Amino acid sequence: MSTTAPPTRLDSALSSLLSRLIPDRLPHESQEQADARWEAANERARSLINSAADAEADESSDGRWEDVEFVAEELRRRMRDEGDDDGQERAQRLGGLVERLQAQKVLGRKGGILWFLGRVAEDMRREEEEGEGDDGDDEGKRLLGVPRSRGMGSPRARPVGERATGPRPQEASVGAEQKDDIANGRVEQGGGPTEAALMRDLPFTLQGLSSTNLAFEDDVSLKLPPTLPVPMIALLHALAEPALLYRSLAKFAEKSETGGLVSQSLQSAIGMELRSYLTLVAQLEGQIRRALLSVDDQAPKGGLGKTGVTLKRLVVWTRDATIALRLMSLIVESSRGKKGGELISCIHDYATSHGDPFVHTFAERLLGNITKPFYSMLRRWVYDGELEDPYQEFFVHENSDNEDGMGPGATSVWEHKYALKPAMVPSIMTPDFANRVFLIGKSLNFIRYSCADSPWIESHSLTSSRELSYGDTATLSSSIDTAYTAVMARLLSLMETKFALFTHLTALKKYLLLGQGDFIALLMESLADNLDQPANSQYRHTLTAQLEHAIRNSNAQHDNADVLRRLDARMLELSHGEIGWDVFTLEYRIDSPLDVIVTPWASKQYLKVFNFLWRVKRVEFALGTTWRKCMTGARGVLAAVDDKLGADWKLARGAMAEMIHFVNQLQWYILFEVIEAGCEGLQKSIRKPDATLDTLISAHTAYLKSITRKGLLGGGAIDFPTQLHELLKLMLSYKEAADALWSISIDEFGRRQERAAKIETRTKAGRWGLTEADDDASSLSTRSPIPALLSMGNSKPLDEHAVLETLRQRLRGLRGDFRAKITVLLGDLRDQPDTDMRFLGVVMNFNDVYQPARRRRAPGGKTKG
Amino acid sequence: MPREIITLQAGQCGNSVGSQFWQQLCQEHGINQDGNLHPYAAEGPHAGGDRKDVFFYQSDDTRYIPRAILLDLEPRVIDSILSGPYKNIYNPENVYVHKSGTGAGNNWAAGYAMGETIQDEVLDIIDREADGSDSLEGFMLLHSIAGGTGSGLGSFLLERLNDRFPKKLIQTYSVFPGNQDDIVVQPYNSLLSLRRLTQNADSVVVLDNGALSRIAADTLHVQEPSFAQTNQLVSTVMCASTATLRYPGYMHNDLVGIVASLIPTPRCHFLQTSYTPFTGNNVEAAKLVRKTTVLDVMRRLLQPKNRMVSANPSKTSCYISILNIIMGEADPTDVHKSLLRIRERQLATFIPWGPASIQVALSRTSPYLQPPYSSRPPPRVSGLMLANHTGIATLFKRIVAQYDMLRKRNAFLEQYKREEPFRDGLGEFDEARTVAVDLIAEYEAAEKANYLSGDGEEEAETGADRRTDGVTGR
Repeated sequence: MSTTAPPTRLDSALSSLLSRLIPDRLPHESQEQADARWEAANERARSLINSAADAEADESSDGRWEDVEFVAEELRRRMRDEGDDDGQERAQRLGGLVERLQAQKVLGRKGGILWFLGRVAEDMRREEEEGEGDDGDDEGKRLLGVPRSRGMGSPRARPVGERATGPRPQEASVGAEQKDDIANGRVEQGGGPTEAALMRDLPFTLQGLSSTNLAFEDDVSLKLPPTLPVPMIALLHALAEPALLYRSLAKFAEKSETGGLVSQSLQSAIGMELRSYLTLVAQLEGQIRRALLSVDDQAPKGGLGKTGVTLKRLVVWTRDATIALRLMSLIVESSRGKKGGELISCIHDYATSHGDPFVHTFAERLLGNITKPFYSMLRRWVYDGELEDPYQEFFVHENSDNEDGMGPGATSVWEHKYALKPAMVPSIMTPDFANRVFLIGKSLNFIRYSCADSPWIESHSLTSSRELSYGDTATLSSSIDTAYTAVMARLLSLMETKFALFTHLTALKKYLLLGQGDFIALLMESLADNLDQPANSQYRHTLTAQLEHAIRNSNAQHDNADVLRRLDARMLELSHGEIGWDVFTLEYRIDSPLDVIVTPWASKQYLKVFNFLWRVKRVEFALGTTWRKCMTGARGVLAAVDDKLGADWKLARGAMAEMIHFVNQLQWYILFEVIEAGCEGLQKSIRKPDATLDTLISAHTAYLKSITRKGLLGGGAIDFPTQLHELLKLMLSYKEAADALWSISIDEFGRRQERAAKIETRTKAGRWGLTEADDDASSLSTRSPIPALLSMGNSKPLDEHAVLETLRQRLRGLRGDFRAKITVLLGDLRDQPDTDMRFLGVVMNFNDVYQPARRRRAPGGKTKG
Repeated sequence: MPREIITLQAGQCGNSVGSQFWQQLCQEHGINQDGNLHPYAAEGPHAGGDRKDVFFYQSDDTRYIPRAILLDLEPRVIDSILSGPYKNIYNPENVYVHKSGTGAGNNWAAGYAMGETIQDEVLDIIDREADGSDSLEGFMLLHSIAGGTGSGLGSFLLERLNDRFPKKLIQTYSVFPGNQDDIVVQPYNSLLSLRRLTQNADSVVVLDNGALSRIAADTLHVQEPSFAQTNQLVSTVMCASTATLRYPGYMHNDLVGIVASLIPTPRCHFLQTSYTPFTGNNVEAAKLVRKTTVLDVMRRLLQPKNRMVSANPSKTSCYISILNIIMGEADPTDVHKSLLRIRERQLATFIPWGPASIQVALSRTSPYLQPPYSSRPPPRVSGLMLANHTGIATLFKRIVAQYDMLRKRNAFLEQYKREEPFRDGLGEFDEARTVAVDLIAEYEAAEKANYLSGDGEEEAETGADRRTDGVTGR
């Protein structure tokens, strides 16, 4: 050994290296011992470096070890030979280091240094593989005499992918049966199989197979030989844990019962994890074999220790795997009974809320696998609108109970065909996101089945379909957003163009809400005579014929043929004693898929509003007819009898004017303040840029609700419908009474004409135009009513007079009722919170002619006469 | 059943107003000067939104022909119509010019008497026209009451229509004389016509020349408005008041619907009108498009200066009813606000004996009056007010007073005495005066709370506490 004077730099480098490798002082040795150890190591290292070239030169060609390149190559080869998974990587790292070494100009004997370091590394690795528990065993084998201590931080081979875990306190969660074994005293001291025998069996045990010494009693317990010493038992306990866990997991992974695709993929993911566990076991088995082989020749006892493969070491080596298995079994345990989204949520919990990074990464890895079926479902759903979910794992599910009973209408498809199951929404997505996804798929499905536009869907899914997978949140949310926008836009444009939604909404407004005034007027006029008949004598064909007539003769004829086709006149269900007016209704047929917006409920509301408006219109029509009669009559007939009935007519006209005013204001209010305003709101919300079908539906619903509420059709505390109904009824009665007055006037006029004619003929004949007898016989009614009252001689004028009196009473009564009811209505309207409804009260009483009911209590208010 | 309305135009004024009216209707409905639809109106996006058949019928060759009957006793105006741009739209069979062509010489009696002589021919035309309609709603007579033909022949027609069509509505657009009309005998003519308007018509839209000239002068800044300009005003009013008939909407789709809400009692059927803002091709100054709002329009309609009647309402005058026809981009909520504002500020007083308010009809305007069909957009919102106002009685009072002045001097009576209606004396004048005075009394009574119940009983339900001092003015 030539000891050249080492450069001081080498000295310091060496000492720092040694100080890293050799602990200062181990607890069981004294300071001297440590120093001595240090010295020895130092000496050995120095000699090693110095002799490196010589030593190796003995075996191989000269000066080779001075060649850095050669040494490096040699080291690389060894690393590769080790066949380690990361050998390649290490070789690369070595390459980098060598380069840096060569760049150091100050260092000499680079080859030697490298060789030395290589040897040191090799030794350390070998120690590693030998494991622990061989303290004091063949000191000579250890190059530097470095003692081992756990947790020293030296790199150790671990199962691939699990190196991030730190040591964890051992949990005593081995099968309870083992403890029982101990407790039952079956474990006998001494005797029993040797460690070698146990070692031989262990690989089988670790794979969950029974072996001679270690037999599985059943699924959850391992029978240990009873005669083992306690420390051995403890070790075996530790080793039994992964074995048992493996057994149950393997069983889980192989079970064929199908709990759903996500469960299946969980099974397969766990199966894969188990495979990597098995790889570990195989490696161990190799180690054990080799050890046993080398030991077999030698003395059985202590030989094992020499090989570095002991039970203790096995425990250590399997520790990480055990943790993984434990985690898996925990997952399997907690996932029991869950499926689909829930299952994903459950595992996602481990990934997000668990502090242990090992658990986190493990769960993430699992998630990557098990969400695959989920994402493929999601993809089908988001791009094709198909629910491909044989095991009900998706957070959208089909309402199967709905298919019958609801009929084939689109409503059921949109509202009820699919439902969102909040519990099944995996926690990897937010509820809002899930809702979007739900809407997309629902819309697509709706487009495909209700709107019969599958070609679009196909092209859509072709062009925009993207691979979705776990972890890529940004892409996922952006592609969902794109899909959402595209699908919603498409659905709306389909509704607008293909199904002419707005045309139909306009048509509903025109026909059912009386917007097409000329059509309604014509219909009413042509139906009037029919509808005066009892309900049971209405014939549908008459109604439809009149409807046809009204369409043809009004501007409705210019409307879309499709719109007109949907318009129908029919009768409501008959109830006893009603007349045609009460049962007539117009109907506008809305079919799929528009009935998703104009739902059956909405149609009912439309009918309700129509019937109310129709009733109001009818009153207007009736009053108008009578008004026309008496107005045109005033030019002739009525002017002639003005002396007798003028005052009555004046009152009647006043009352009718009042009623016409009322009806007009009511109509203005409902048609313009309520319907038009509501319609404007509807238009506004429909035209919103982010409108969806759901917005449409809710906007339309709100529209109808506001009409029924503000339109005095109910919904408030005060029963406006009844009030209005009674007012309208009163008006009709008044109209009838006025018609009766008209007949009386006509009779009177006729009598006068007759009398005048008689007088004329008599005068022509040369007689008196008027005789006493005529006065008695015909009537005294030409004179003022008072003498007529006195003419008791004849019963006819008396009757007539009585009739007239009754009629006057009736007219007065009806008018009084009307006024009384109006004041009540106005009082109620005044107290409404809604400004529009208060407005109705104001315009009905614009010139303060009525005293709204409440005000009568105030001082100075007039009492009704 | 389009509820047709047949238009009778009598005399010089009636026919010139009528020709303006038809011209404007044609423009509004996209009918060209031959009576055919413009291509944009036949095919365009607005086709089918309007009702042309109320005022037009279609001939076999699909031309639109006005339901108009043109009557005159002298050929001048009708000749000019028949040589004007729209000469081809009229049915030549519906044009009647008296053969002598002498006219009525501003003499009511002459016009009336000549009516009698030509009644067979004229009534034939009317009957034919009436038979040609499915569900005739009524007649519209356009005339002035100051001259001879419009007033005399018009009066005669009203009487005949009354007999012949007792159940049809008869509405007139009657141009009353202004204060400075150059016809000296117009008080006679007016009074005589007024009697017929009172007794034989259901609704009279009163327009008076004085007011028309004033409006043309004031609001349009025209110093000496021509007849064409004032006629334009009248035809604008007519178009507006028929807008809801021609553009069907929720309400007021027939004449009854409009008039019934305006006229509670048959005697008080004289309606006054206001219109704002005026624009028109003939009226240069009005070409400026004003950015009007609903409130502006509704407020201006109530201003006296926009009234087309120069009545001098007294303090007790009040509205019996009001119907505002608002055209253009009117939002119901604006109407709502305007009504409340008007009520708050008490811009209009109403009768005390029954409910009355400003009723509003929203009507579409013709799409063809707007670009691209027209070079100039119409006002954003325009409005017509049809009002039944008791103040109109002052107009009648003026006529009676003017009549009384003439009559006191027995001026110009000779030419009347020559004609048939006065063969048996001047009783006709007295009767007419009685009718007019009754009419005035009726209007004055309508200002009282006890109008409906008459002398004796006080109607307690007339809530607004007004005078209860019985009937006055009678």
